[in-house]
Amino acid sequence: MKKQPSSLRLYIALTLLLIVLPGSAIKVYCGQQGVQAIITQAGRSVSAAPAADAAGGLPANLVQVHATHNGQPFWTETRKDKVRRFKCSQCHDNSTVTAENAAAVAHGDMVLEHGGAQKPLTCFTCHKEDQRDFFETQKGVVIDMDHVDELCGQCHFRQKRDWIGGAHGKRVGNWAGRRVVANCTACHDPHSPLFKKRWPATYALPLDKP
Amino acid sequence: MKPLHTPPAATPPKTCADARRRYGRRDFLKSAVQAAALCGAAAVTGCDPGQIQSGQIGLQWQEYFKKNYRLMTPLEKEATVRRLEQLAKLQRGIDIQIGTTEPVKEVLFGYAFNLTRCEGFMECVQACVRENNLDRASKTQYIRIFEMEPGQMSPESGNGQYFHEVPVDNHFYMGIQCFHCQNAPCVKACPTKATWMEPDGIVVVDYDWCIGCRYCMAACPYWGRRFNFNEPHVPEEEITRKQHYLGNRLRTRGMMEKCTFCIQRSRDGKLPACVAACPTGARIFGNLLDPDSEIRFVLKHKKVFRLKEDLGTDPKFWFFID
Repeated sequence: MKKQPSSLRLYIALTLLLIVLPGSAIKVYCGQQGVQAIITQAGRSVSAAPAADAAGGLPANLVQVHATHNGQPFWTETRKDKVRRFKCSQCHDNSTVTAENAAAVAHGDMVLEHGGAQKPLTCFTCHKEDQRDFFETQKGVVIDMDHVDELCGQCHFRQKRDWIGGAHGKRVGNWAGRRVVANCTACHDPHSPLFKKRWPATYALPLDKP
Repeated sequence: MKPLHTPPAATPPKTCADARRRYGRRDFLKSAVQAAALCGAAAVTGCDPGQIQSGQIGLQWQEYFKKNYRLMTPLEKEATVRRLEQLAKLQRGIDIQIGTTEPVKEVLFGYAFNLTRCEGFMECVQACVRENNLDRASKTQYIRIFEMEPGQMSPESGNGQYFHEVPVDNHFYMGIQCFHCQNAPCVKACPTKATWMEPDGIVVVDYDWCIGCRYCMAACPYWGRRFNFNEPHVPEEEITRKQHYLGNRLRTRGMMEKCTFCIQRSRDGKLPACVAACPTGARIFGNLLDPDSEIRFVLKHKKVFRLKEDLGTDPKFWFFID
């Protein structure tokens, strides 16, 4: 009868050990998952948004994009106010345009290199012929110049999908709060969209390490 | 019953020991050493009366004896920041604003780099140098861009010193900087706890606690840290005036420094200078805890990888291809 308390104690100690050891092992293992685990466990976060919006720095003249990402709206810079001599219909009013030195006054400097040699684009692939203030898709949908993504997206649908999500293109202003992104034509010249070769802005000194 | 704490006597201290008892050993030693060293410093600097009059020596002295940033109370942070601003005014004659903005809650910063889009224009490098007051004399740069041949995966085999028209056909460009590892080896290597990871995931350096041993530099497998072997030189008109204590404030010789995701910008909601400057949109920055953020879209929908993932450093910097 005297032995029983000590064996009971031993039993309790062993049981505790059996619970604690695997428990701590699991905890250590979970800790090793690191940032991936933190990301998957993360819920909806909103606290950063007001701080970022207070910082300002957003461009003026924004227009809401018709598409949404995860149901969240986002904005882009307007385009029409940055096009010189908009409205186009001031000259192109469905009559023959007659101007002296027309090439110098209007679009003589324009180089059209879009679509490659196999499928070269012409002016009216994008511009609407009878309403020059607008674009027209291949299916005949009239598009406002501020929503140029809807025009480019008919061919470049992969880029548009990434642009809506945020993997293509460039966010303007803040990383949180109201999401403002650059539109297609902010970076790409629509008439020759490939980036031109140029010299880098700076250079790096040789170091002993790569 | 004897009281646990006796209030100090009102009589003036008669001896050293008496004074020591009253103010406490630490305070006494500190003031004694301060007084002695103030005389010493005045002697060393040639007793420049201008410096003493302007209080520069006193400010420098207080700076020398401040705490590690993580141990400071908000008041002490405010005091050191004011001192640093005063010193900048006295020594360089410029007005700067140093912030101590705390991390935003529920934010973990992450970064993604699009290998398909980067064209090697290096505008990010230039913007970084200007924003973070990097040494122009030794051409310190936090970001390095490597010109890589197809199939290469490690910058060790790339060309980091290219200078010709870019992009070169059939090459891609890979940018590396501090990856802000969640399990950072540099933090473990530091013998003075002068570097640590902030709650929002930014690995920072307390420049005034760095002793310049460069253990962290040796521990970093990504060549992410830079050391000031000489006094850094920044032209006065190019100094970024808006600074952060843990970010782009002016460093001196013998201090370790590194990319801080532009802590002075990102904690105010702005994008880091490299992201803002990138002409091709290859750099993506955001909150990893926000499911709607751009960085989370990249992690979910793109083919991502991290450099030297097998080391277990858990960097918060992903490379991806379109």
